[in-house]
Amino acid sequence: MAGQSEPHISLFSAEEVEFMAEDELIEIVPNMRMAPLNFICGDFGPFLPQIPTQVPLWLAVALKKRGRCAIRPPQWMSVENLTRVLEGERESQGSFQFNSMKALILCFFVDGSARDDIPDMYMVRSLIEDIRDVRIHKVETSLEKFSGTSAVKIPNLSAMEVNIIRPFVGRALQAFYKHDNPEKIPDVDRASSQQTRVANNEPRRPLRR
Amino acid sequence: MGSSAGEWSAEQIDDYETLISTTDVELLKKAWRNEKVSPEILPFEEALVKRAKEQIQLMEETVDDFVESGHDPLIASLYQMDLDRAQFLLRSYLRVRLQKNRPRNPSGFAIEKFMFYIWKTDTYRNRLSMEEEKFTERCIRDIGKHLEETVLSNLPDNYQSVLNQSVISEEDDMVPEPLLDTFVVAKCERTTRPLYLDGSRQSTGDDHFLMVPGDLCILRYRPFQEELMSGNISLV
Amino acid sequence: MANYYNIDDILAEEEFVPVVFHKAANGVIIDPSSETNSVEQGAKVELPLWLAQELYLRQAISISVPACFNQRTRLEIQADAACVDLKSRSPYFYEFGCKIAPLVGDKTIEILLLSAFKIRYKEILTKAYTAVFTTSSKFLTLLTKEETNLYEAAQASMAAFKKWRMGGPRLQRASVFGRKRKPFD
Repeated sequence: MAGQSEPHISLFSAEEVEFMAEDELIEIVPNMRMAPLNFICGDFGPFLPQIPTQVPLWLAVALKKRGRCAIRPPQWMSVENLTRVLEGERESQGSFQFNSMKALILCFFVDGSARDDIPDMYMVRSLIEDIRDVRIHKVETSLEKFSGTSAVKIPNLSAMEVNIIRPFVGRALQAFYKHDNPEKIPDVDRASSQQTRVANNEPRRPLRR
Repeated sequence: MGSSAGEWSAEQIDDYETLISTTDVELLKKAWRNEKVSPEILPFEEALVKRAKEQIQLMEETVDDFVESGHDPLIASLYQMDLDRAQFLLRSYLRVRLQKNRPRNPSGFAIEKFMFYIWKTDTYRNRLSMEEEKFTERCIRDIGKHLEETVLSNLPDNYQSVLNQSVISEEDDMVPEPLLDTFVVAKCERTTRPLYLDGSRQSTGDDHFLMVPGDLCILRYRPFQEELMSGNISLV
Repeated sequence: MANYYNIDDILAEEEFVPVVFHKAANGVIIDPSSETNSVEQGAKVELPLWLAQELYLRQAISISVPACFNQRTRLEIQADAACVDLKSRSPYFYEFGCKIAPLVGDKTIEILLLSAFKIRYKEILTKAYTAVFTTSSKFLTLLTKEETNLYEAAQASMAAFKKWRMGGPRLQRASVFGRKRKPFD
């Protein structure tokens, strides 16, 4: 049942997940004029005062820090909407309501650099954390329902949530799979291949197989 | 992301492709994630790596020009950030493949874990780049030599192989193999035919197990090898 | 042989199983306190699994169900699986069970393992996320090796996440990538 990875090493570090989330697009409102940027990761701009434009999160934060733009929080990032989502998550057992691919990480970025752009930042943040807790709990406690199929759908889970549940869920599912499918365990194959060896009955030390 | 379920035409798939992977950075990120998550080595992304290297080199020259010509330092620094990110991705991709040849393993004994297996399995060996092949060959040579000098030459004649427990072993019974029955987190990118969560090709009549583009699932890796190679799913 | 270097797999095969010898065997010392160096036909002894397996395949012995899968354990697991001290029965309860089941031809062992795991994994999960160490340490002593791994996996990933969350404003610390390097060789 032991997985091949050591339990303490996450597949992705939190910093790596963060790195990936930094490419998510967000709307900014520049307060300066700047020619389009032709990056390896894509073309952005042109930047004109008061004209909203979409840029990756890392660029938004870089510009915000230099006082060159305001960040526009996405529509879903309001207290009303998040409260609704949280209620939905609590009520429905199976389905996950809200596409939070970038919610949490976005929230932290914005919290660090653009607090003034978002009303009720504190509430928004704690709502997103509550949503996350409800979801992680739902996925992890519902594992055995899926053990027969050896697969689980996890709609709309964010990359960070995936990373949190992965070490546990992966190992647990592996255990379910193994106990549900004893005939698929390699030990049986090995036992039968040994039988053929026994047939020629060579004297040998009991080696570790 | 993506549309609802059902049959996808070739054009739709192409559209979807251009929509989600417009840049080599996106492709590289996907390749890095796939490689990091999958329990086996995947085919080397030769063309992609070549393109990425060229773009990085070009961008380095651009940034140098900016700095020398006294261009707006803000713009130069933004281009530098973009460059740093692309380089980080490329390095991570190349590195994770080498670590796959030599996975970190705290029990020490298995540092050389999959090298021997990759070497004797043509499918896997063909997935290496030329540099990786050289690297693997040298590792095998060095580790083999080291084990021979320190341990194997002191054992009885029948027990001197790096790969076999003894001369009567019928197979390379000391070569660890990748465990393909591990569970991975996968995203359905597109469907050229119906994909079911358990890897089966026939409907069980329960659409709950049907995957549609955008779906995120935890599934057993083995039945989905082909789907990963053809880009129908990606790993996260 | 995917498991060759797996230390847990090796240790699981060190667990003892009760066996009955079908043939007399000379020149072996199973019990150091015995006076002769032979084993009689019909002798009941305990052998490590790896040895029992080899002898079983040579039809020299038969293997019976080890104590850790006996009726009492089964009843306890049925009553309250989460509270059973599996570790003292065998730190490799599940792995050992999987290996022994085909040898003793007892399909109910697999069912027992699955039902025990179904209940215990939830408990492990809850404890990993909620309990402070002092209260959960007693619980930890009941866990098998793999259950402990699970507990630690859940706890470590949540701890890593919390640490990251407390890490302060983004993009100010040293980022994951280094500074500019010269072109690739």
